Order: sequence, then C-alpha cells, then structure tokens
Amino acid sequence: MIAERVARFMPPALGVWRSRALRVPFWIRVSVFLAVVGLSVGAYGDDYVTAVAVSVATYAMLGLGLNIVVGYAGLLDLGYAAFFAIGAYTAALLMTIGHWNFFAALPLAVIFTGVAGAIIGYPTLRLRSDYLAIVTLGFGEITRISFNNWDYAGGPNGVLDIPWPTLFGYQLSSQIAFFGVSLVLLALAMIFAQHLDNSRLGRGWVAIREDDFAAEAVGVPSLKLKLTAYVMGGMWGGLAGAFFATRIGAIDPTSFTFTLSVYVLLLVVLGGMGSLPGVLLGALVVVGLPEALRGFSQYRILAFSIFLIGMMLVRPQGLWPRIRRKPKPFYGMQDEESENVAIDILQEHQAEMERRDLKHAAARHKAPVDGEVLLQVEGMQRYFGGVKAVDGVSFEVKRGEIFSIIGPNGAGKTTVFNCITGVQRPTKGRVLFDGRPLNGLRPHQIVSRGVGRTFQGIRLFKGMAVFENVMVGLYPRHRTMTWQAMLHTPGERKDELRTLREARRWLQFLNIEDKAGLLATELSYADQRRVEIARALAAHPHLLLLDEPAAGMNPTEKMELLVMIRKIRDLGITVVLIDHDMALVMRVSDRIAVLDHGTLIALGRPDEIQKDPRVIEAYLGREEDDAELAEAAGH
Amino acid sequence: MGPFLQYTVIGLTVGSFYALVALGYTIVYGIIRLINFAQGDLSMVGAYLGWTLLVALGFQHLPLPVAIVAAFVIPMLGTAVVNLGILQFAYKPLLKRSLLAILITALGMSLLLENLAEVIWGAAINAYPPDLLPSTGFAIGPVHVSYVQVALFGVSLLLMAGLYLFIQGTTIGTAMRALAVDHDAARLMGINVDQVIRLAFVLGALLAAASGVMLGLYYVQIQFTMGFLLGLRAFTAAVLGGIGNIPGAMAGGMIIGLLEAYTTGYLSGKWEDVVVFGVLITVLVVKPTGLFGERVAERM
Repeated sequence: MIAERVARFMPPALGVWRSRALRVPFWIRVSVFLAVVGLSVGAYGDDYVTAVAVSVATYAMLGLGLNIVVGYAGLLDLGYAAFFAIGAYTAALLMTIGHWNFFAALPLAVIFTGVAGAIIGYPTLRLRSDYLAIVTLGFGEITRISFNNWDYAGGPNGVLDIPWPTLFGYQLSSQIAFFGVSLVLLALAMIFAQHLDNSRLGRGWVAIREDDFAAEAVGVPSLKLKLTAYVMGGMWGGLAGAFFATRIGAIDPTSFTFTLSVYVLLLVVLGGMGSLPGVLLGALVVVGLPEALRGFSQYRILAFSIFLIGMMLVRPQGLWPRIRRKPKPFYGMQDEESENVAIDILQEHQAEMERRDLKHAAARHKAPVDGEVLLQVEGMQRYFGGVKAVDGVSFEVKRGEIFSIIGPNGAGKTTVFNCITGVQRPTKGRVLFDGRPLNGLRPHQIVSRGVGRTFQGIRLFKGMAVFENVMVGLYPRHRTMTWQAMLHTPGERKDELRTLREARRWLQFLNIEDKAGLLATELSYADQRRVEIARALAAHPHLLLLDEPAAGMNPTEKMELLVMIRKIRDLGITVVLIDHDMALVMRVSDRIAVLDHGTLIALGRPDEIQKDPRVIEAYLGREEDDAELAEAAGH
Repeated sequence: MGPFLQYTVIGLTVGSFYALVALGYTIVYGIIRLINFAQGDLSMVGAYLGWTLLVALGFQHLPLPVAIVAAFVIPMLGTAVVNLGILQFAYKPLLKRSLLAILITALGMSLLLENLAEVIWGAAINAYPPDLLPSTGFAIGPVHVSYVQVALFGVSLLLMAGLYLFIQGTTIGTAMRALAVDHDAARLMGINVDQVIRLAFVLGALLAAASGVMLGLYYVQIQFTMGFLLGLRAFTAAVLGGIGNIPGAMAGGMIIGLLEAYTTGYLSGKWEDVVVFGVLITVLVVKPTGLFGERVAERM
C-alpha cells in the first residue's frame, strides 16, 4: 500500500528502477539492507542504541518464526515463548556445563527446539484454532514453570555466567559484535522464511489457512503441514533463544513469560501478518517505541496499548502488509499450441497412470484394465444419529466409464462421495478402489491413491489466484523435500517450474487459461466450477468424482460441460457424476445409479432408468397417490 | 480424608470465582466468537471499584448488609459500563473484519486496563477491610468451613442460577441462544443482533466484577496485576468445559479450582499451573471439544 502510494509520486524512471530492484533475488536485497543497517548503527550508534538494535533483531527473529506459524499456516500460537526458552536453556546449559562453543551449541539448540515442537504439536495440532490457542498457552506456561522448578537448570535463579561466543579464537564481547552476529542470524532467518513462503509448502499453508478441509480433500496432508509450520516456527524461536542466552549472559525463567509470547504476536500482527518486512517494522515498533517513550517511564506501556488499539481500528491489516501484486503467472513462458496441449496432457496422464499401475502391480495387486471394476462400494451405511443418510448401498464402477448417481434431494448422494473420499467415515460397509480398501485412510491419502473430487458448494481457496489453486492440486505430485524448499535449490526451482507449467496446461485444457491470474472469487460461477475440476485433475486421478458440476450453469455452459466430461473420460479417467440435470446425465452417462432415502433403487443404462417404475415413483410420486388426491378433491 | 475434604472446600470456593469469570468468556465467545482477553481484567476493575467504595469512600463503616450490597451492586454496574464502552469503541468497528484484529485489540485492552488501574490506584497492594466479614466458621468433623466461604460460594451459585434461568427462560435469553447458533438466521428472525451483543458484554462484566469483589473479600489483598492470572485460569476453565457452553464453564471453573487446591495441598504450590494445563491439554487431546462441548458438524 505504502509502496504503491510512493510509486505514484515517483517519476517514471524511478519506477523502472524500483521494478528492477524487485527483480534482484531476495537474499541479495536482504543482505544489502541488513549490511547497510549494520554499518550505519556501527558508525553512528552508541552502546545504548546498539543494545536496543540487538534487541530489535532478537525480536525480529522470534517474529519471523511466529510469522510462519500464525501468518503462513494460520495457527494461533500463544505460547511461543516456550521455544525461545527451550533454545535459550539448551544453549546455556551446553555452554556452561558442557563448555561448548556458542556456534556448536546453536545448531543443537535449534534442532532440540524443533523436536520439542514436534512432540507438543503432534497430538494437539488437530484441535480447532481457538482451542489450539489455549493449548499452546498452556504449553508455554508449563515450560516456564518447569524450568523454574528444575534445580539442575538453576531453578528460579536460572543459568548464570554463560560465556560469550568465540569465533576463530576471537571473543565477541562488544554490543556491536553481537549486533553483527544477530544480523547474520536474522538474514538467514529471513531468507529461509522467504524461500519457504514461495515453495509448495507456502502454498499448502495458505490453502490450509483458507480452507483446511478442502485442502485435505484435494491432497494436501494438512496435519503434516501444520506440524511442519509449528516445528519450523519452533526452530526459529530456538535460534533467537540461543542467541539471547549468550548475549545476556544469564537467563532465568522470568524472561520467558506469557507476556513475551503476546509481544511477539503483537509485532507480527502490527507489522502485517505474513509479511517479512512487516516483521522487521513490527519488531522496531514493539521494542523501539517503549524505549523511545522511556522518558514517560510510568506511562509507556499505557501509551503503547492505546497505540495498539488505535492501530487495529485504523489499520487492522498492519503497518506493512503483505502486498499482492497482480500476478503474471506465466510471464516469460512459451505459449503452447492448443493441440499440443491436448496431446501432452494425454501422454502425460497415460504415463502417470501406467506408472501407478506398475507400482500397484509391484505391491502384488492387479490393476484393473478398461471395463473391469475400479471402484467397489459394498453395503455402505452412514447414520447421523437417527438419520440414515446412506443405508446399505452397493454398486460397482468400471474403469473407463461415466457413471452417474442421481436421486431426489437428501437421497444421500453427497454422503456417498464423502464416504468414498474419506471425509466421513461410513458407519458400516467397505469401499474398494483398485481392489484395495480405502476405509480408514485420510482424505489426502485417498487422493494420492488416485481419487479426485469437486464439491457441491464450491470450495476454492478464495484468497489465491486461479493458477495457485490448481498448483495446490498438484501438491501430492511434488518431489521436493522441505530442506530443498528452504535452500531454494535448483532441483526445487525445476520442480516449481514443472508444477506451474502443468497447472497452466490443465487450465488450457478447461479453456480458462486467460483467467489464470484472477482471484478465485472474481470468477463467474461456471468458471469456478471449471477451476475446481482443473484442481482435481491436476493430481492425475484415476477416478474423478464430480458433485453437481452443472448447478448454476446456463444451457451453453452445460453443453460445454458435457463435452468436457467426455474429454476427461477420453484421457482414461473414470468419472462418477452427481447431478440434477437429467438431460445432461442421460446424455453423458454410461450407467446410472438412483438413490432414494439412502438406498439404491435402480441401476442401469440411461434408457432402462428412464423406464423404471420405481425411479418414476421416486421422482414424481405414485399414481395411486394422485388418484387418492383427486378423489379427496371431490372428483 | 480430613485434608482431602478441606482442600475440596477451598477448591470449590476459589473454583466458583473462576466459574464466574469463565462464564463471561463463554457468553462472549458464544455470541461473537471472540476470546475476550480483557475478561480477567474486568474482574480486577470490579475489585478496585469495590475497594474504592469500601475503603476510600468509607462504606465499610455503614451497616454490614448495606455495605456489602453496595460493594457488589455498584462495582458490577460500573464494570458493565466500562465493558460497554470497550465494546462500542474498540470491538464494534472490527466486528465485521478479521477476528484476529479483535483478538489483538482484546489483548491491547487487557494491557490498557491493567496500566490504567496502575495509574489510578497505584502499583502497591491494596487491602480490603480485613474485619468486615466475620472470620469465624464452623467445623464438620475435621473440616473447617468459614462463614465467608459459605457466603461467597452461595452468592456465586445464586448468580450462576440467575444467569441460567435468564438465558433459558426469557425471550432475550432465547435470542442469545439463537444468535449463538446462527447469526444470519437470527437476524432474519428479527433479533436485534447489536442489542444481544451488548447484553452479552453486560452479563460478562457483571459476573466478572462480582468475582473480583469476592476475591477481594476472600483474599483481602488486591493488585492491578490480579486480572491476568484470574483470566488465564478462567479461560482455561471455559475451554475445559467446552467453550460456548454455559454449564460447561461452571463445571470447568469448579474443576480448575479443585485441581489447584489438590495440587497445592498434596504436591506443591509451584506445580499448580503445570497440573492445571497438563489436565487441560490431556482432556483436549482425548476429547477435542472440551468436556461438555458439542461436536460441530460441517456441511459439505
């Protein structure tokens, strides 16, 4: 926002320079900026200013870590000080009792904090966010009190006489030397955070933050990603903690209270959630402002709280919010001919399917060929209290066919989908896919087995661009590791480029490439449905479940949809369709199953279904009813 | 058995204070999904208003019933006014925007109340009149129960029962429950949403202030930082019982009070919070909606 406003008053030449500057890799920009800050503080600052600057840097490190947890993954953590404490104590004990050098203790402190994060995160991260807030708060308090009561770590007195770090035999003891070390650590923390943000992990986190449930259902392992965010955030906190310990020289439990957690959260929100420059600015305000107000000593926290409340009223998005530039998703990529696209997709998809069939065969399972049973639903029941949404439904879907499920509202169609995709557990019954049971798997595992789906009420990630939505769908097919993402290795870049290219191809396949840069919410209803289909296809499913794709479409769009469904089948993908549009269903389906009140009342070819008296009865009511009604009316 | 019962008496007394504050958390959360971090500090405000009346203005010299009634009613009303002001100026403009912004505002409000109290009443510990209430009691076997404990526990129960009847029995209480389930549907049915939100804040403040005065009477000493720990315990209690659930908050408060008393009695005071939070985390991991919370069904 600020940047835009400034840009408006800048002569065009400066604008050019600005966009050139933005093209410089992030790590160079950060390093240059921090070097300039370091040199100017070194040249002009006295000891007091430098000491405050070191504090700002420490808080900024903490903020960067919490920003991953809260800003990226959307998990409200109120006990972040615990990580700071664990990092500080680990380093302090290693350095005092073990006589380790700081630079040897630092990595261990970081790793140890990460492990602690994993231990506490694993059981608790499946909780709803408000509950997570109190659990993390509790974790923070437990950690602090445990250190307070732990005699080995000095109890309430803490650890004293922590040595200063030595580097190549040279002892770092001045404030300015600490400032140098803190800037290097801060630069690392910023660069890694930025790399994570721009990787598939970052995309997965945003997807989870936007819609946890939909993310899981399109193949993002949400629990694992939340845990990753939590552990990463913990490691950043451990880094800051270890640095804090050696800098202060003596630590005790009062440095790691709930208030610290709150201050770090404040600086993240003040700066603008998810924004890296925002974290630096937030740290400057949260640490610097009370220092600047030191003259009013008694009133400074008071003034700070008023500032905070006012700030939330005037500028709730933060001081330097994350700027969303209009994305040019495929900038600089070569255009492909549409025929080539279709051929590429077909080839790639078939290769993908063959690969999976081979893997399947290696696991001693026979992969079904065209015409053999792909999906088998056996006696599926799903009760909600006393309501029998699905009551003993069995059917089989053959590989390569278009299979429709129809029925009046409330017949249990969507519930069948939910039970197949693992979103809901069937009360009873089995679902077999490729001859292997799907029961008990989590939704993202079912996606990677080869089942894709769309939703009845569209569930796109609203804050993400169209192409990013499709890229989330490609999540299960990434091959990069977290460390590669963190270092932004060439392998990771190649993988990202491949993902982008594939996302584009799927958008071309569905004829919406021109809308790739728009936000999902800016699209028409029909286009949103198309994006959902593209997102589901991107994972290369064997089986695609479409839940009322024609709802809200006009006749022309429905015709296009019909063509599209056939095109999808021609890729070799089996399609199961739920829809209320009989014209569409009758024309496109090979076979149709009819549900009513949770039971299967008919199954067969479209012409058989149209003649089936039970189906007619379910949809139109019985003729006797009409006769009775007519009689009652006095005819 | 003797010590156990003695701890139980202490635990229930303290627990009833927590329960009152927890109710405030739960009511506000139920209506606008906000964890109102300032809830504990409202209690502190109530305690200080009570102190101002009793000590600074000399109400302690009035006949006991008059003094006590005044020391409850006036702070409760005063705190309600404060909370309405907070709602109007700080939360209201943010209600339609991000929940996190309100949450941060609530944290800021907690800081503000604490520091304002420090400026107004000073940082030192202030003492309630120690001999206002009789310090005697009676014994049941080995267990000593003071009249103060009985009276405070009784007042808490009375307030909770009143709240329960109000929410279950009156039209506006029904409107509150409806709003907690579905904002839009409630609005379409003609419920004045703003009015219900205001009511929730008033109720929360009334209960918090009452608990603050009771804490002052029970522990005699009050300080401007007292709201923090109280709020933390009460928040824990609300979540333990299943946030948004009124009987759950009452039960949660009692459980936290008892846990605290048993830990202090059998283990050591310094492990209090570890046990309280440990139990909370265990309960949530086993039953993610709290002890009495209902499963939230999601429609796809």
